[in-house]
Amino acid sequence: MLLAARLAAGDERALEEVYDALAGVAYRSALQVLGRSEIAQDVVQDVFVELWCHPERYDATLGSLSTFLAVCARHRAVDLVRSDLRRAAREERRERLIPSQRGPSPSDLVTEAETACAVRDAVQQLPDGQREAVELAYFRGLTYRDVARITGVPEGTAKSRLRLALQHLEELLDRQLLEAP
Amino acid sequence: MTVLTQLRERVLVASLAARERGRPTPEAASISASEALSLAAASFERLLAGLSDEDWGLPALRDLDVQGLVGHLIGVERDVQRALAGDEAVADIDHIASTQDAARAQSGRPAALTREEWRGAVEDTLHAVHGGDERVISLHGMRLSVDALLVVRAFELWAHENDIRLAVGAAPSSPEPSVLALMTRLAVQLLPHAVSRTGTGAATDLHLVLTGAGGGTYDLRLGPPRGEADDLLLVVDAVDFCRLVANRVAPAELDVHLHGRGADGVLAAAASLALD
Repeated sequence: MLLAARLAAGDERALEEVYDALAGVAYRSALQVLGRSEIAQDVVQDVFVELWCHPERYDATLGSLSTFLAVCARHRAVDLVRSDLRRAAREERRERLIPSQRGPSPSDLVTEAETACAVRDAVQQLPDGQREAVELAYFRGLTYRDVARITGVPEGTAKSRLRLALQHLEELLDRQLLEAP
Repeated sequence: MTVLTQLRERVLVASLAARERGRPTPEAASISASEALSLAAASFERLLAGLSDEDWGLPALRDLDVQGLVGHLIGVERDVQRALAGDEAVADIDHIASTQDAARAQSGRPAALTREEWRGAVEDTLHAVHGGDERVISLHGMRLSVDALLVVRAFELWAHENDIRLAVGAAPSSPEPSVLALMTRLAVQLLPHAVSRTGTGAATDLHLVLTGAGGGTYDLRLGPPRGEADDLLLVVDAVDFCRLVANRVAPAELDVHLHGRGADGVLAAAASLALD
């Protein structure tokens, strides 16, 4: 309670005291989730900077400062893992969509077929205008000007439909990849 | 060296880059000294407005009843206005003796008139100052900037508001955080002079942490280094610190967390400021 009040008063010695007493708790909590020391150290830094900038977020009536820091470190670590998973999924999808320089292996061909199937399924879930724009631009290889002309909309509208469609597809495919066993 | 020892410096540097040391969070709104006096006066006036006729006659401070104490404040405002007008006669007169006539003059008057006269006196003080006034004013043995003088006025109003609250059995009040921030800053600024004046063998270096709204953290050099570790950490609630500085609580009664030597001297010096 007193330490929290000192932190709120801008007492950097209190921060040093909290670090010396509880950095280990935060570090172990993060390491348990992440398994890598360097990233767990980043988490400890984030958690302490957050505590220093917003000491009011710690409510002493809800538990000890030790527990608070451990929970903050764990949440932050889990956020990092989730973010890594999403990034990895995006990279994997991008790799699948970009044609390989070497000849495809049988396994690549199966994967490509699965990806193509997943993409077509996702396209079917798009709103009509966006689906039509994607089919013309990506499956028939037309420019957005051609898409605008054929669908009878201004070029700006064709562009924004394609942009929105790609955002939707990214979300849909992310979800599929993350939910895949 | 362990991972955490290596990480320590990095964490502290990153933290202090994100939020400057010494500054409280949440930070009180920044106001001018005259706004501080206005707010303190408004709070005082709200208290007076709620007093019954009997309350005005209750003993409040020294030999003064509530009405006499408000009369004392009228006298102080008149002295302030004379000082602001350059009257050197008020430079070194005693703060209590010089206002006794104003205090006694309230006896037998309707309370509403006393209240009205006091409010008018505060307004006159506020009209006598203007933003950016850099004069040094001499009053009641003090040499202060105009801004510091106005904050001292806010300090005194708050101290006497609580004298009256105590007299009538009302709960004590805390200043608005923005007013309190100015009050604590002034008291901290005056503390080294008080230590030097009282010569009470205080610590050489003071790390003062004032907690709660309107607080902050200060590092003060109170004397020449003595070649030994006599750094003192003092943690106290900002409002309690102001009670000490207003001489409304004894150092021994203060709820204070300390580490190091020389606390008694620092607390005694703070109480000697008697900003009431």
